[in-house]
Amino acid sequence: MTTLSVPSARKRRRLQRRGLLPLLLGPSVLLIALFVIAPAVYSLYLGFTNTQLTGFAARDPKFVGIDNYTYLLSSPDFLGSLGRTGVFVLFSAIIGQTVLGMLAALLLSRKWMRGKGLFGAAVLLPMVVPEVVASLAWASVLSPRADGTLNRLIDLLGAQPVAWLQAAPMVCIIVVNVWRGIAFAMIMFQAALEDVPEELIEASRIDGASARQVFTNVTLPLIRGPVFLYLLLTTITTVGVFGLVYFLTQGGPGSSTQLVSIYIFEHAFEYSQIGLGSAASVVLLVVLLVLGLTYVRLAKVEV
Amino acid sequence: MKRTRPFAAAPSAAFTRRGFLGFAGGVAATTLLTACSSGPSGSSASSGGTTTIKIVEYQQARADIMKKLIPQFEKDMAAQGKKIKVDLIADILTDAQFKTKITQQFHSGTAPDLIDTGATNIAGYAGAGYLLELDDALHEWSGWKTFYPTVKKVMKQPDGHYYAIPHEASVQSLFYRKDVLESMGISTSQPKTWDELIGRLKKVTVKTGEPSIVIPAGTAWGGGTWSEGFLPIVAGTGSTFYDAKTGKWKVESKGLTATFELYSELVDNKLLPVQDLLNPNPWEPTKYVDFVKGTLPVSAQGTWGWRYDWGPDGAAPIKDVQEKVATWDYPSLIDGTEPYSVGGGGYVYAVNAKSKSPDAAIAFAQWLASGKPLARQLVKTGAAAPRSGISGIEPYKSEPTLLDAEAKLKTSVPAPVGDGADQVSQAVQDATEKILTGDANGKQAAKSFAADAASLLGNSLVAQ
Amino acid sequence: MSTTIAFESREETERTQGSRSPGPHRGLAPFVVVQRTLQYILIVLLALFCLIPFAWLVLSAVDAHAGPTVQMPTLSLDNFVRFFTSADTPRLLVNSLIISVGATALNLALGMIGAYALSRFRFRGRTTFMFAILLVRVIPPPATIVALYLMLVQMHLDDSYLGLILVEAAASLPVTLWLLKGTVDAVPQDVEEAAWMDGCSRLGGMRRVIFPLMGPGLGAAAMLTFMSVWGDFLTPLVLLQSPDLYPLSIGLFRAFSAFNQVDWGVLAASAVIYMVPPAVLYMVLRKYLLKSSLGGALKG
Repeated sequence: MTTLSVPSARKRRRLQRRGLLPLLLGPSVLLIALFVIAPAVYSLYLGFTNTQLTGFAARDPKFVGIDNYTYLLSSPDFLGSLGRTGVFVLFSAIIGQTVLGMLAALLLSRKWMRGKGLFGAAVLLPMVVPEVVASLAWASVLSPRADGTLNRLIDLLGAQPVAWLQAAPMVCIIVVNVWRGIAFAMIMFQAALEDVPEELIEASRIDGASARQVFTNVTLPLIRGPVFLYLLLTTITTVGVFGLVYFLTQGGPGSSTQLVSIYIFEHAFEYSQIGLGSAASVVLLVVLLVLGLTYVRLAKVEV
Repeated sequence: MKRTRPFAAAPSAAFTRRGFLGFAGGVAATTLLTACSSGPSGSSASSGGTTTIKIVEYQQARADIMKKLIPQFEKDMAAQGKKIKVDLIADILTDAQFKTKITQQFHSGTAPDLIDTGATNIAGYAGAGYLLELDDALHEWSGWKTFYPTVKKVMKQPDGHYYAIPHEASVQSLFYRKDVLESMGISTSQPKTWDELIGRLKKVTVKTGEPSIVIPAGTAWGGGTWSEGFLPIVAGTGSTFYDAKTGKWKVESKGLTATFELYSELVDNKLLPVQDLLNPNPWEPTKYVDFVKGTLPVSAQGTWGWRYDWGPDGAAPIKDVQEKVATWDYPSLIDGTEPYSVGGGGYVYAVNAKSKSPDAAIAFAQWLASGKPLARQLVKTGAAAPRSGISGIEPYKSEPTLLDAEAKLKTSVPAPVGDGADQVSQAVQDATEKILTGDANGKQAAKSFAADAASLLGNSLVAQ
Repeated sequence: MSTTIAFESREETERTQGSRSPGPHRGLAPFVVVQRTLQYILIVLLALFCLIPFAWLVLSAVDAHAGPTVQMPTLSLDNFVRFFTSADTPRLLVNSLIISVGATALNLALGMIGAYALSRFRFRGRTTFMFAILLVRVIPPPATIVALYLMLVQMHLDDSYLGLILVEAAASLPVTLWLLKGTVDAVPQDVEEAAWMDGCSRLGGMRRVIFPLMGPGLGAAAMLTFMSVWGDFLTPLVLLQSPDLYPLSIGLFRAFSAFNQVDWGVLAASAVIYMVPPAVLYMVLRKYLLKSSLGGALKG
């Protein structure tokens, strides 16, 4: 490090620093505080009120303590949506995306494989298209008409056309979300797999281990960290999924695909119950916090 | 050879001095541009003597007729020496989408001067203070005296004031396919009781293998479950649902339980199209496809069905609808009551409380609710006149079914409206949904409704 | 994000096989062939699974008589023409562009100077700040959208480009700051100090030296932000009420849920058009996402 001494210049730098920092970082802090943090805090407050946008109660929002929370936690509707969200996250993010993403990462790490670029691009496509386009594409696949893509496929097996979104709505949205998230899992796992030293794999191979054993006993333990990080990230993202499902089902049929995000939207904006919607948002945040801490705990234990 | 600036290629020009300034300038320009053009703001403006008012229509048929009426209004006003211009905002949406949107616009003060919406929505907006109180304007208007008492009653809000001018009255009845039932050999006389009607419906279902009646139910139908489905049935049971004097709702009663049990009975006998009712936009496969085809021959419906749904310009036209379709009053549900029809609101015009030109807006609404303009709208959308004196005006004069409905207004039962209707509507939707999914029978649904409604309404609105 | 780079460069540095083949004979043992075929089949199935849903979109976009399901197209570009000549659809595209470009530009501008400050200035609470904003990213949008809506109304920023742009830019700032801080960290102090020796002010050094070297980081941040804003559905749904301001995501939703009046061909064409700008951006920024070496930055 060159150390030409120009003391006064150095001092000027240090003095300048104090002035510059707020100028440079200030705007970002302001924006984040105002549009990301403040709403979260405001939500907390609103959850304790009976704020509405229609009806006489709208003129004069009152503080109602934990009434909203007691309503929510005893409402089969809300508890149902929590459950559905849990199922949605478990099967699409934790199981579906992880398994298929790992599969893709492993397959595309094979040195002898040709056309990796093409395959990789194919897997990447569902992730990079906008949410609404993804839903639209699947709307045609799941079409109840006899010439819908999926119905055509099962026709080859001799089955009758099915109205998929009616008959098995949760399964449908789980599949769509898996489809959407494979690429992200693949990318994260590829990076993780790369960090596994070749020599270790070679050594265990020479010792006679099968591919499966190599994977479970050598690879997996070494990539535990990234895997948990991935699980954490995808859980967070999946809990926040709204458009993908809303576009296809609007929470229906009935409320069979009403996830917490849709419950919040419906109650806050279609029924104009701001207080209740905010309370539901807070519950969602708390659940996420608990999940996040759980993950971190698990990751620590392993590593 | 070491490269000194690997990213000195053209695209990095953005980060040279000029580039950076240009970049920052671009950001600033975009910000300024967007700040200035922050979307159309809500209500009127006045410039050089011409007052401009805005009205929003969210149904195609209504937007179409409004487009034709506006020039006439502007001419009439000009003849009186008033320069008023009307801007029509046509944004085609479902009821639920419109409600969400207009509530947000009212809340942020960007709503137009006039809205045209169903009477059942007014309570919520009026309660929140979004609408202009019209008592004085109506009092001074000679036309108001000719409005039917039932219509006026429905328009009076829980606080005793008026906030909208009705331009339709509708009668809620059971529409049925006369041709289809006759060809099946099923009686088309007025069923006296629901048991009688259910007997006929069962016969139809046995013949077709399909559900035979559609009554709005569940959450997918939204507010319609309340206003077109549940409310008309409970209104004829004789039980008080909303007490206008105390301003409270009675969330448990014989009539309510009977209504929920009716739904349950219909579902148990497979007479309701349950799957369709659970899916988004449930009116499409039921009213617009199966009723038209004739496989679902009975539908709970308001007067507008004659034009808006099944008329020649409607969403799902039925050829010769006047011959093929007829109406029944609602059969009686509880012993001791008689068949009845429910008279209620149709659409009404309401003025934004924050409108900058309230007088012009009120003048327009009053003009629209009178004489030929009113007659033309009634025929376009299919509604009965809410006031006397229209039955002699073309084109309304030549619509026997609509004139019929107007006559019925005098004897129809009014539907209860009150503050908190939105919350009750939600509770009804949830409770009927449970019946559809098989999660509750009639009694259980009634109980769950009572608990739900009570907690949504809050203590002040529930009769103990 | 180095992970994308990792994927790309893997392809370029495919190692040769040879030392893995068991046994002394040439070619591969039949067992290995079977194994490899199976793996090929697996990846093909996976790729097909990923691609098939797009079939309808692509085919219907160029189909003059498109329906809601896949059919042999009557090839024509009519749908695209109709998109651009109709009264309201081009507006959707323009709005999406205004919002996304505006938000990305704002996000990058603030992110660049913020990241510089975070990297070069050691201040108390810096680590806390970094982790705090990471924590903030954990919050899912549906949880804050209600309160956000009310706040924007009070600030008179609802139903406007400006409000939406500010919200979108803010939402992507945490990721951008993290990414760009990493990029700035990778530029050694020496380079800056060299500039200072030449008489540059701090700000000047920032501009002349640091910014040009942030290429890949900026590319990644731009890509991530743009794509996140471009595809956003919930935020514009709640914050915008005027149809004039609707971006493509809302436009497509409204068009799709209209009864009996869905023009499938135009809808598919709109979706294809909707997919184009992020793809274009990716092409343009690809080079920057790949370049990872700053080694030559220091003058020898």
